[in-house]
Amino acid sequence: MPETMQATAASSGRRAAPSALLRAQAALSAEWIKLRSLRSMLVTPALAAVVCVGYAGFLCWRFTQRWHTFDAANKAGFQPLDTNFNVLVIGVLFFGVLGALVVTNEYDDGLIRATLAATPQRGLILTAKTALLTLIALLSSAVLCFAAFLTGQSILAGGHLPHVTLADPGVLGRVLGAVFYLTAASLIGLFTGVIARSAAVAMTCVFGVFLVLPTLLNSLQGGVWRHTVPYLPSNLGNALWLSRTGSLASPTVAVLGLAAYIIVLGALATYSLRRRDA
Amino acid sequence: MSAQAGTAPRTGASLETRLWATARSEWIKFRSVRSSPAVLLATAVILPVTAWLLCAYYRNGWATMSPASKASFDPVFISLRGIEGAQLFVGALGVVTATGEYTSGLIRGTFIATPQRAQVIAMKAAIFAAVVWAWCTLLSFAAFVVGQALLSSPAKHVAIGDPGVLTAVFGGGLYLTGVGLLGLFIGVLLRRTPAALAMLFGILLVLPVAVGLLGGKISAQLAEFLPDSGGEEIFKLLHGGAYTLGPWQGFAVLAAWVAAAAAAAFQLVRRRDA
Repeated sequence: MPETMQATAASSGRRAAPSALLRAQAALSAEWIKLRSLRSMLVTPALAAVVCVGYAGFLCWRFTQRWHTFDAANKAGFQPLDTNFNVLVIGVLFFGVLGALVVTNEYDDGLIRATLAATPQRGLILTAKTALLTLIALLSSAVLCFAAFLTGQSILAGGHLPHVTLADPGVLGRVLGAVFYLTAASLIGLFTGVIARSAAVAMTCVFGVFLVLPTLLNSLQGGVWRHTVPYLPSNLGNALWLSRTGSLASPTVAVLGLAAYIIVLGALATYSLRRRDA
Repeated sequence: MSAQAGTAPRTGASLETRLWATARSEWIKFRSVRSSPAVLLATAVILPVTAWLLCAYYRNGWATMSPASKASFDPVFISLRGIEGAQLFVGALGVVTATGEYTSGLIRGTFIATPQRAQVIAMKAAIFAAVVWAWCTLLSFAAFVVGQALLSSPAKHVAIGDPGVLTAVFGGGLYLTGVGLLGLFIGVLLRRTPAALAMLFGILLVLPVAVGLLGGKISAQLAEFLPDSGGEEIFKLLHGGAYTLGPWQGFAVLAAWVAAAAAAAFQLVRRRDA
């Protein structure tokens, strides 16, 4: 009898307050089930890979076809890696949207309330989502960037155009920089989604920040613009993979700047998730 | 007897009565959704503020600009460039105006109340277009006034009476209405907010970037047939470049995209379950 009592007490005690580790594991596995059963989690990275690798290959092939029309100055200024990675201007949008959909899917169908009721530790939910998204975005952007790189450079090499390999100085760093940028974009998308609580608003922000803002502002130089425009998330990210950096920030500043965006937005998202109704 | 006569129109309400009733209910839906005033307010900030930022920038830097960039400087387009930012919001409002009812499931109630689905979509589009056009035309004029007030001599500036200027400023409102309608019809087609937004922004913003990456002659030729780069001609004063369309030809490109989306939307909305 006393043993049973003890067991009951122990089990009910554990149920009332499970250890932090158990709770973290449970949150992670719950979030993982949600993520892998979402169609957009599969469609978005797959579409990003097809569009980016395919279009990067196509653009490199076009350069091999047009090479004989270039004059000496154009040939001398040809940057094999930039030509190859220009599609990332489009690729980054897929990753921003991927991040935004991780959480806004739940807000749009109202199931976020069930999630928050099951795990009232809201910070823990966001941590689990962030961890899993980071993993998914890192893996898929690494596959995307290396596949685009290898495809593009082998096409350039086949056309006897200047090309680079991963062993050339600085090249591996820029490919990894691209992976970092795409992952950072997905996290910016996630935190924007938590703050916006709606897919429409979060997706509009992603397209606004990564596409429209640089289009409107990049032509402005000098004065206050010289100290602000290079620090737009898109320009910080481009500084990580472009060979011709021009007025862009240095790679170190770019990594720190993107990290700062993630930390600030992450803090705002945590605050907003904890304080506001779902 | 008179009561019976009174009920008679219910069984077969005239087209006019039904269209008015549908328009009224669509108007109530449009104005009672929180995103509508929010988006309209956002555009009211974006257009004049962008005009102010850009025109002040070019006025201050005018002396240092090269003769070539002075010649290609378009004072109307620079005043109205905020449209490139505002189109995101207006397009998203168009999408949400259509998908909002699908997401909440209330579209079924709408279609039970008015089984003439094409009329519902037509009235939804008409109400949306009327409000967005009136508001955005007003803002387009406001942005123009702000911009020209800042672009003082020696910077190039124009008056509303100069040739082509009135068309361009009116064109700003027309362009944004076109973008919003494109979003609305894509919303009806895809019925889900994220998918419809991705498709709208893909066509509107990503396609021009993809075409621009092609380089060479084909890039400039193709760009004019996209809703964004083609449609923008309507609010430009200068139409330089070998392949550039005129204002109305450019706007016709955008209108053709909207018409194609509308045709697909009207066809599918009658065939599919809601």
